[in-house]
Amino acid sequence: MKRIHLEIALGTLFVIASAVLLIIMASEEPARLARFEVEQRAEQIEFGALVFETNCTNCHGSHAQGIPGKAPCLKCPEFFSDRLGEVGWGGSLEDYVVSVVTTGRQVSTRPALYQGEGTGVPVMPTWSDQFGGPLREDQIRAVAAFIVNFESWAAEPEAPEAYPTPLFSVDVNDPIAVGRVAFVQYGCVGCHTVEGLSTATTGPVMNGIATRAAIREGYESAEDYILTSIQNPGDYVVEGFNDGVMPINFGEIISEEDLTNLLAFLMTLTEE
Amino acid sequence: MISSLRQRLRSIPRGPELRKMIWEMIDNRVRIITAGLSMKELRAVLRGDPPTEKPNPRYKVITTSFIAHLRPRYYPLGATWFTHTFRLGWMTTFFFVVEVLTGLILMVYYIPFPDQAYGSILEIESNVFLGELFRDLHRLGAEAMVLFTWLHLFRTYFTGSYKGARTFTWLTGVALLAITAWLSFTGYLLTWDQLGYWAITVGSSMAESGPVLGPAMNLVLRGAPDIGTGGLLRFYLNHVILFPLIAILVISIHYYKVSREHGISLPADIEEGNASDQRKKEANRRIDLIPDLLSHELFLTSIGILALLAIVYFDWFNSPLETHANPQATPLDTKAPWYFWWLQGLLKIDPAKILENLINPILAAPLFVNMGIKPLELSLLLNSKFIMGLVVPPVVVGLLFAIPYIDRNPARLARKRPFAILWGIAWVFILLALSYMGLPEYGIETPPATRVIQDLAPEEGMGILRETPYEELIPGIYTVGETNPEEICGSDFTYTSSQTGEQVIGCAHLVEVFTEYSEGLLAAEEDGLLPDLHAIMLIERYGPDLKRVGLDVSWTDEATGETKTYTKHYFLHAERSLEE
Ligand code: HEC
Ligand code: HEC
Ligand code: HEM
Repeated sequence: MKRIHLEIALGTLFVIASAVLLIIMASEEPARLARFEVEQRAEQIEFGALVFETNCTNCHGSHAQGIPGKAPCLKCPEFFSDRLGEVGWGGSLEDYVVSVVTTGRQVSTRPALYQGEGTGVPVMPTWSDQFGGPLREDQIRAVAAFIVNFESWAAEPEAPEAYPTPLFSVDVNDPIAVGRVAFVQYGCVGCHTVEGLSTATTGPVMNGIATRAAIREGYESAEDYILTSIQNPGDYVVEGFNDGVMPINFGEIISEEDLTNLLAFLMTLTEE
Repeated sequence: MISSLRQRLRSIPRGPELRKMIWEMIDNRVRIITAGLSMKELRAVLRGDPPTEKPNPRYKVITTSFIAHLRPRYYPLGATWFTHTFRLGWMTTFFFVVEVLTGLILMVYYIPFPDQAYGSILEIESNVFLGELFRDLHRLGAEAMVLFTWLHLFRTYFTGSYKGARTFTWLTGVALLAITAWLSFTGYLLTWDQLGYWAITVGSSMAESGPVLGPAMNLVLRGAPDIGTGGLLRFYLNHVILFPLIAILVISIHYYKVSREHGISLPADIEEGNASDQRKKEANRRIDLIPDLLSHELFLTSIGILALLAIVYFDWFNSPLETHANPQATPLDTKAPWYFWWLQGLLKIDPAKILENLINPILAAPLFVNMGIKPLELSLLLNSKFIMGLVVPPVVVGLLFAIPYIDRNPARLARKRPFAILWGIAWVFILLALSYMGLPEYGIETPPATRVIQDLAPEEGMGILRETPYEELIPGIYTVGETNPEEICGSDFTYTSSQTGEQVIGCAHLVEVFTEYSEGLLAAEEDGLLPDLHAIMLIERYGPDLKRVGLDVSWTDEATGETKTYTKHYFLHAERSLEE
């Protein structure tokens, strides 16, 4: 056989092999497309979680559980069942989230619950870079995917997964360390600055609170003042802040034990 | 009217006459289409028979057809020996054609605007039938084309084929190298992911460092001080219109020179060596383009196509797509594509430092100090980005252009040009060494905690943490130095993999992740880099089918005595892909 014949024969074989490969790929393509879409959604949710963690936890809580008085829970059953009806939104929940996050809210639709920091400051800022915010459209879509993903938990509020393990590794026998975690978990970080932990300005800076508390008039002790401030914020309103901003129901939400730990933590924040 | 029609009808012959007439008509058409081959001739070509007419009609094709006229009628056999050309130039052409064809398809779906570009790539992968295949082919073809261009350059250099009449071929070749590099460089940005965006930002920032014209050059290139809408559009137009056209033009000239003007060189030992007469005779035998060379090239094409498809099908190559470009966040390891590592390596050389280190010890001698001479401060004068990015590469390209003029030695045999051969080998090693220096790991100090975590789960790409199956991410707090990796889960821990459907015992992936994490950090602690190390890995549920892995390292900073921390959070979803 001459070389040219061998090459024509082999070449034909290779072309047939290529065609077979192509046919196999084409037949597997619908499955691949479907799988890619699922994986793509999964990665979008992961990305959205990261966007949420960096931008939203200050107000909506470390796990989207909401911070009373600051911003609503975004994974609770009511959000999935009632919210669209309340605001009269005709589209899907995901689109609602995209729209709210894109534009932000100048004033709350529930002013009694979320007062914000007074007029002139939006209760939730604009997020879209179209309007001067920091997020791109794909980031907003991702964060919406992340929030909507909570739906299955919301439908089963008792699901054990609904309760995340603690945020930091701490010695559970150390009340100060556990109190620090509670300060994050109950969302106090959403309103109060503690150096090295949070930078919020809705409420007074917490550094030095132990020293300040000791000289507030009308209270038995520093501990007494701090406890009262948490359980009944209206009892003494700090100058420069409004009454009714700090939620009044912490007394009911926070367990006795956590309250003791919180107090222990706050008492370490003395003026230098 | 009618009578004239009748007359014409009557003039049509019947029977065998008619058959002959129809045959001639068809034959004529075929000759026109094939630019010279009759039906009989075609048959002979396919069977490998000798030409049926004289003069050889197969040569006529080459003079009549525009496309075929870029090719010669025949080569001397020796010029086409595999061990002489290795088909490297041909392969480069093949990949260029692959790029053009797959590129045309991608162009239909790609949108060259910053807020849609990345999404359109995702769309190609998730919603276009065989879209991923075309993307992979285009990317693979691009890398192959760059590789084969370089190999081809070295081949023609080592066989001394750039000498004499072939000088101009070499010059067009160097232009093609630059064009190929520019095509791949501009294409790299189009995905608009972190990888491309930052590689191109770093790469094009060289333009900015130029004196006087630098900022203007930067503006022309990027359309704005930073790469944005204008920059992407410019890169896109360069990539899909301007440079493909230029490439087609220059490749055609290159081909024309090679095939029409002076042919491919013969192996040096035939031209000037002491090859046996028989070998010389064999080498000078003609090999016709039609049918021998053409069928050979079609054969190579079939190999090329099969190889490309197989590589993609068996997942040996995957086009990367990292996260969306973010001008605000430079990723930790900006990585140019491998064929630009040499340039990245070049940029890490700081000529000012080297000169200072060389000269200043001498200037420190009492003699000079007494004369009032101060140590040199060269960094202002010799900006490394400018020298290494804007001066050195053009000088290298200039040198490449000049090679036929510098090397006036007419001999082509390696034996007779030892210096040129050594010089070429040295260049191979210089390129390899520079490429090695261009690796993101080389010469860039990353703080130890950052490095360990970056190796586990790089900012861009996979890493072993992201490859861990969701089921193995057992919620809990694992403390470095305290938690024994082997005890994270016992053999009683089993799960059914949602990816493969198989029953898996234990959590080998998680153990591996934690072991690497612990060992990396503990080694750094031992080296005194992380005193008072306290590090944890915390896994918690963060949403339905979503877990958060927190890596949290704290240590005491030697200098200030302060506690430092480095924390990274990763979110992993049950349905994520565990492969790149
Ligand atoms: C400055 C505090 C603040 C930040 C930061 C913030 N939000 Fe909000 N957000 C609010 C408040 C307050 C509301 C309630 C507005 C209302 O009641 O109309 C709200 C409402 C929402 C709602 C609608 C909830 C509902 O029940 O209608 C969504 C969705 C939302 N935020 C998402 C986000 C996302 C995503 C981010 C991060 C990118 C974010 N928010 C960051 C304060 C904030
Ligand atoms: C929605 C915002 C908000 C949240 C959430 C919040 N606070 Fe406050 N807090 C305020 C404001 C505003 C004040 C000042 C007005 C006042 O005294 O009622 C305040 C005051 C205080 C004071 C008194 C400060 C002083 O300088 O006298 C303490 C103590 C305090 N908060 C503790 C907490 C703790 C503990 C939590 C978490 C369980 C918490 N706060 C959550 C807004 C908030
Ligand atoms: C897009 C890139 C290029 C293409 C498509 C291309 C194509 C070709 C082809 C098909 C040949 C015929 C011989 C062979 O297959 O080896 C050839 C020959 C040649 N090429 Fe290239 N080439 C390219 C780049 C280069 C470069 C970068 C150089 C060197 C700087 C170069 C220099 C030469 C020379 C000197 C010859 C003549 C070789 C001989 O006569 O033996 N080419 N080229």
